[in-house]
Amino acid sequence: MLALLKKTALAVAVLGSSVALGQVRLQGAGATFPEPLYKKWVTAYQAKSSQVMIDYQGIGSGGGIKGITEKTVDFAGSDAPLSKSELEALGGADKVVQIPSTAGGIVPAYNLPGITTELKFSGEVLADIYLGKIASWNDAKIKELNPDVNLPATAITPAWRTDGSGTNYVWTNYLATQSEEFKGSVGTGKAVKWPVGQGGKGNPGVAAIVQQTPGAIGYIEQAYADQNKIFYGSVKNKNGQFVKASPAAVSVAGAGAVEMMKGSVIAADIWNQPGDQAYPIASFTYLIVYKDLGNVKSKEQAAALVDFLKWAVHDGQQLSSELDYAPLAAGVQAKVDAAIATISYKGSALAQR
Amino acid sequence: MSQSSSDALGAAVAIPAVLGYKSPQSRPQRRFAFRVNSDTLLQGAALMGALCILLMLASLLAVLFYAALPAIRNFGFGFLVSTEWRPNELEQPKRGPDGKILIQDGETVMETMPPAFGALPVIYGTAVSSALSLLFAVPLSLGAALFLIRAAPRFMKGPVSFLIEFLAAIPSIAYGIWGLFVLAPFLQQYVEPKLKTMLDPVPGMHWMFQSEVMVGAHAIMRPLSLTGRDMFGGSLVLAIMIIPIITAISRDVLNQVPRAQIEGSVALGATWWQSSKEMLKFSRSGLFGAVMLGLARAAGETMAVTMVIGNNNQIVPSPFAPAQTMSSLLANEFAEASTTLHRAALCEVALILLLMSLIFNVVARWLVVGKNSRAGATH
Repeated sequence: MLALLKKTALAVAVLGSSVALGQVRLQGAGATFPEPLYKKWVTAYQAKSSQVMIDYQGIGSGGGIKGITEKTVDFAGSDAPLSKSELEALGGADKVVQIPSTAGGIVPAYNLPGITTELKFSGEVLADIYLGKIASWNDAKIKELNPDVNLPATAITPAWRTDGSGTNYVWTNYLATQSEEFKGSVGTGKAVKWPVGQGGKGNPGVAAIVQQTPGAIGYIEQAYADQNKIFYGSVKNKNGQFVKASPAAVSVAGAGAVEMMKGSVIAADIWNQPGDQAYPIASFTYLIVYKDLGNVKSKEQAAALVDFLKWAVHDGQQLSSELDYAPLAAGVQAKVDAAIATISYKGSALAQR
Repeated sequence: MSQSSSDALGAAVAIPAVLGYKSPQSRPQRRFAFRVNSDTLLQGAALMGALCILLMLASLLAVLFYAALPAIRNFGFGFLVSTEWRPNELEQPKRGPDGKILIQDGETVMETMPPAFGALPVIYGTAVSSALSLLFAVPLSLGAALFLIRAAPRFMKGPVSFLIEFLAAIPSIAYGIWGLFVLAPFLQQYVEPKLKTMLDPVPGMHWMFQSEVMVGAHAIMRPLSLTGRDMFGGSLVLAIMIIPIITAISRDVLNQVPRAQIEGSVALGATWWQSSKEMLKFSRSGLFGAVMLGLARAAGETMAVTMVIGNNNQIVPSPFAPAQTMSSLLANEFAEASTTLHRAALCEVALILLLMSLIFNVVARWLVVGKNSRAGATH
């Protein structure tokens, strides 16, 4: 019986390898936010290098980090940079390469029938809305920012993301920089406890609440909002300018963070960045690989992975704005290149191409 | 492993052997030995199947328990009664025993509050949404079942029965999408405002339309915004989902009522309704079992509820406030739960849900089949 099992296993293995003959397979998993872009990258990259097969599964940042820690995937995507404990589980900062791959903004979308003017928000007002301190649209604080708009007395229904997500992470971190009270009572994280409002699952869940409920406000990824023609307002940035989210405005925020980027584990918070054009609620999303790719099967595979990363942060960036993602600024690309150059396979360097 | 694989091999051999078993009379001597052998093998295989199912359940419990262990150790019994579900750490100014903020060397002393997990809001959400859905579903289901058994003309019986069973087979995500895009806006625009204008002026009903909100340190009462995505909407979707199962089982249970019983009551001069009442009374434990099975489905239902219940981990008495159930919490948070404790707490919620469904199902089976075998043995 055992012999039979072994034979079957062998047959399956032979069959499997003959399908993938001459091909290099790479498996990635993680964040859902950049998934549409990564899928497009994979298609474009495979058209160029047909011997490479790449698969990326958007299972969530947490799942991606778990996957790379347990070495079940070759690369992981995460919306939030690795935390201290996650980094330790991966073997520490000198064993890991973490690079920003693209950036995105988060926009305050709202539903106020009859109001066609684009509303202006400040971080303080948004924090007060999500704390329940501002309960109706004609509150003096909202009026102060929008003196020309005839705001109705409609009650505000704040909508939030119930699924633990990078979007929550960025939104709460930004609001925490704007309001001490928010920092102390709601705090920051991928999942938090909200005092008021209603939760929806994912961007579509929040968008559905906003679109169906007069008086609702919700935070949505800019790419999703633009693709689905969801109305959103502008936000006051650190320099006091009201900026509407766009890939360009997010790229400006990203470029402002170049000084913060050091070493091979690059992590830079790009919310609340200075600069007149910078959109204040933005973040990078990251790709994570091991610095020594001993975890992949062969040197060819390791070389393909590095090549894909290099391609993604250079040629791939042109695809970013097509899909409403913010491309990496030139300064950021230089830092990323330096990080990719440190990747090796079982001790030998891989970077030259 | 080797033991089980040889058994499986035995079963594989036994099946063709049985199929080829044609004329026992012609070979009486071989027949006896052959029969015992195949019977034993088949019995063994059947036993294996049964054991596998038990093993699956046991391993499910064991794995969930093991995964939940960090949360069980950390929170103990308090997990079941705490209302705080906060996966993130909080930095707060430290307060002294007198409640004042501590200040040292001119700077506020900060303390980090660890994440807190308490399952009471989701247990409450599951219990109330299931109970409300039963409230909506049971009268309708029993009515439909009675109609099918006692009143339906023959040409309607078949199609209606089929449609009810078909409803049970619709995937729950379809109900969820319908709930989110059709039912919730309908409730928001027509039903809930109407209910508010009707019920709000009634003394003692005001609580239904407002909720307590913590603004900073003060709790204030605020009118609820009626969104349609709340306990009420969630329960309605659940009710629609459990109507088929309760109806189908109730129909089978009522079908088992002896004809003599019905004819007897009619002979004694009972009206249609009186004899129907007798029927319901006669099969009450079977019907209760049907309801329990509906309850088990309602408690475990995930995707449809997640889309319409509003997903707020809170205990608010009003049915028009957003809520959260155990399964919707799992659907929402499991994929991105990044800390061990968060995952463990979710696993503990899953464990509680599993044990609850197990109890519901066991009680239901016992009522439908075991205790009262005269009323309904079809399951």
